[in-house]
Amino acid sequence: MTPIIAFRGVGKRFPGVVALDHVSFDLRQGECHAICGENGAGKSTLMKLLSGVITEHEGEILIRGEPAAFRGTRDAEAAGIAIIHQELNLVEQLSAAANIYLGREQRTPLGLLDDAAMEREAAALLAELECPIDPRTLAGTLRVGDQQLLEIAKALSLSSDVLIMDEPTSALTESEVARLDRVIARLRRRGVTILYISHKMDEVFRLADRITVLRDGRHVKTVDRTATSPREVTGWMVGREIADHGFHGVRSRGPQVLEVRRLTLPWPGHPRGYRLENISLALHAGEILGVAGLMGAGRTELLETIFGAGEPTWTGEIVVDGRPVRFTHPAEACAAGIAMVPEDRKRLGIFPDLDVAANVSLCGLRDAVRGGLVSRNREEALVAGPIRETGVKTSGPHAVITGLSGGNQQKCIIGRWLLAKPRILLLDDPTRGIDVGAKAELYQLIDRLCREGMAVILTSSELPELLSLADRIVVLADGRLTAEFSRAEATEQRILEAATGG
Amino acid sequence: MNPSVIPGRGWRLPRHELALLAATVAVFVVTGWLDPNHTYVTNWAESSEIILRNTALLGIIALGAAVVIIAGGIDLSAGSMVAFSATTCGLILMVCSEPGDKRLVTVGPLGIAAAIGGAMASGLLVGTLHTWLITSIRLPPFIATLATLVGLRSFARAMCLFVTKERWGSESQQINVNTPFFSWLKEHNVVITTGTFLVLAILTWLILSRTVLGRHLYALGGNEQAARLSGVRTDNVKWFAYCFGSLTSALAGIFLMADSSVAQPGTLARGYELNAIAAAVVGGCSLQGGVGTVPGTVLGALFLRLVIDAVSKLIKASADVYEGMIVGIIVALAVTLTQVGRFSRTGRTLFAGGRGLAAIPTIATFAGLLAMMSSGNVEAFQGRTGLVGTAVGMAVLAALAVIRWLEGRRTP
Repeated sequence: MTPIIAFRGVGKRFPGVVALDHVSFDLRQGECHAICGENGAGKSTLMKLLSGVITEHEGEILIRGEPAAFRGTRDAEAAGIAIIHQELNLVEQLSAAANIYLGREQRTPLGLLDDAAMEREAAALLAELECPIDPRTLAGTLRVGDQQLLEIAKALSLSSDVLIMDEPTSALTESEVARLDRVIARLRRRGVTILYISHKMDEVFRLADRITVLRDGRHVKTVDRTATSPREVTGWMVGREIADHGFHGVRSRGPQVLEVRRLTLPWPGHPRGYRLENISLALHAGEILGVAGLMGAGRTELLETIFGAGEPTWTGEIVVDGRPVRFTHPAEACAAGIAMVPEDRKRLGIFPDLDVAANVSLCGLRDAVRGGLVSRNREEALVAGPIRETGVKTSGPHAVITGLSGGNQQKCIIGRWLLAKPRILLLDDPTRGIDVGAKAELYQLIDRLCREGMAVILTSSELPELLSLADRIVVLADGRLTAEFSRAEATEQRILEAATGG
Repeated sequence: MNPSVIPGRGWRLPRHELALLAATVAVFVVTGWLDPNHTYVTNWAESSEIILRNTALLGIIALGAAVVIIAGGIDLSAGSMVAFSATTCGLILMVCSEPGDKRLVTVGPLGIAAAIGGAMASGLLVGTLHTWLITSIRLPPFIATLATLVGLRSFARAMCLFVTKERWGSESQQINVNTPFFSWLKEHNVVITTGTFLVLAILTWLILSRTVLGRHLYALGGNEQAARLSGVRTDNVKWFAYCFGSLTSALAGIFLMADSSVAQPGTLARGYELNAIAAAVVGGCSLQGGVGTVPGTVLGALFLRLVIDAVSKLIKASADVYEGMIVGIIVALAVTLTQVGRFSRTGRTLFAGGRGLAAIPTIATFAGLLAMMSSGNVEAFQGRTGLVGTAVGMAVLAALAVIRWLEGRRTP
């Protein structure tokens, strides 16, 4: 049987970088094919080629045996290939139905928009996807999971038979993930071929028939799922078998530095009424407190409230070093020795127009001032410490920050905070979207900071990360603290039960 | 701009500034050569004075605009702010003059100091108002400063009518200022405004590139949320930016009032805000925020004024008629040129599809009309302007058609 899509020696060079190098493999009609690889392995370049975003490349892409020459995304759409991007492409101010038919609006004989027809068909499409929303709802008001299904509905209305999904579960709740699994199963029964990009091994092994691993732009292997194991695939991704990161050496727990008592954060206009309710916890110097919880459980809100960066409407008590505090601005928390590395690196962390040195020096820039002016030499000396300590790989302090990998950018942000010499470090999902090798380095960094006496609160959407790093783990579910485990007691099973309220 | 050097840092001029400098020199040389009177050579003192003075006045306001733009905002109110400051200055002089002195020649040193201080204070007032509207009321900067653009001029006029009536018993739309100090300012306006502009430029450059505050301005403009989460008091930084923007306009207001010996809130400095923003943008400031330099802005202002001067010399038309067109074309060209690299990389074409086809006769029509109008001022073409316009229009049409054909061949 002719493969529905065949890559034949596909390569793509950007100035100074080989993004893809002679990649060859096939997609079979109707299969679910997972593409795995670290960031920078070439996954997204490959998807951009296949969806017509990038038009020039080496080698050939055969679609149903015919060589394809896409001049743009429209050509790819016409060939039946649709892509669901990680960052969704919806017009938030338009209704769900209008988004599905955007650019292909149906019209009445008079040439006016035929909203009724579009809404009727949109409703049918959405119902098939278990997405019980009114097609007249504005796209911007939908939950992320529903927005994603909306994109899938759009792809189906284009009668696409190849669907590329780029890390589709990164922002979904457990129940939404389960629903997506069912949708994928249904799509496959219709004969849709699915190209599933993910680095979450559990998903890949639950859904995929075959797995292709890319590394440094090269094709490493394409194997049947049944013939391999998650550990083996991860090994191919990093080029080595990764050791189990367990930091089981004893840490010495110091005095209590932070206590949160009966913290409640109201949520006006929401049926639940609160974002956080009655949260109490304590943090000691030299320990890592893990905060587990599903997306939307209130992890970020908890850290932001402690840091003075969230809504100021909270009640309860936050005690730092025995003194009750109520920060109204992050600058105050910073002065009190608290640092926070926010969850969304691109949106909340880095300054794309500033260089590496300026990104790192921001929190300690006053130390580089001489006679009222910032001294360039002093600034370079200032950032050299954190850059070395966090192990940022950069060509120099004046390199462009956006040229660094995600892991190195994250190290820059941690380095920035080290200059403020904090005693309490709040890390909000610091390894999200970071490749496996850089993750291990970040774990070692966090462990070392903790051993040097820093108190750390770490949230993560990946349980193994919490289990290997944290001394204690508290679990949030829908804004409430539902369990606390010591490292010895904690297992993935128990944490998930507490997080899902089961 | 060279992406590996952060804006406003280091001593080397980045690529954008160098290109702008080259363009400025080129315009200067070409104008000096083509100008039938060769004014730049035969009367270099007067020519340079005019250009310097105009550049300084535009540049002072442009520096304020640049700081606000780098901080990720926009200040549309500069022109009205100039009028407001000049009116404040004139009214304080009036109040401090002897009764019955309608030419305001009798104001003492204290009165002059009060007038200048009052004008600058009016800048602080407006900057603070902008900051409050933007940070507390959370108006978008465009809306907040649009409101003051419209409102301040009207406010200044009402203030003028009110104070003149209270003081002189009859309402007046303007205040004549013949105070010796301001006459002296006017007499030496080239040296003083240019000197002030240079000092202000150096000061602004120091602030932006060498102080913590400057770094925070870039951080705020580049990523406001990240700046806040890094402990930067973003609202205070905004306060500085908008006050700086208004203060530069207030300063320009004093000079403009002295130059014309009259504070006339109805017409003074109308549209200056857009020229200032244009100078900053030509100088490399990005309206997205976080990007821009002082040398770039200074060169941007110089370049704009030089081209305006060149056109008035070459076609002997009154400069202010053509000023808007020149500024518009230069802004569009400058920003286009910085994106030419992107065009060739992404393979995007200038005249693709139906829109491109429609754009070609549109541009040719404008070019032809412009050629016809401007040739009317050149002796050799008099009586043949229609012919010139048609010829230029056809030539542009042909040239663009060739470009489109070439583009069509490149992308099959």
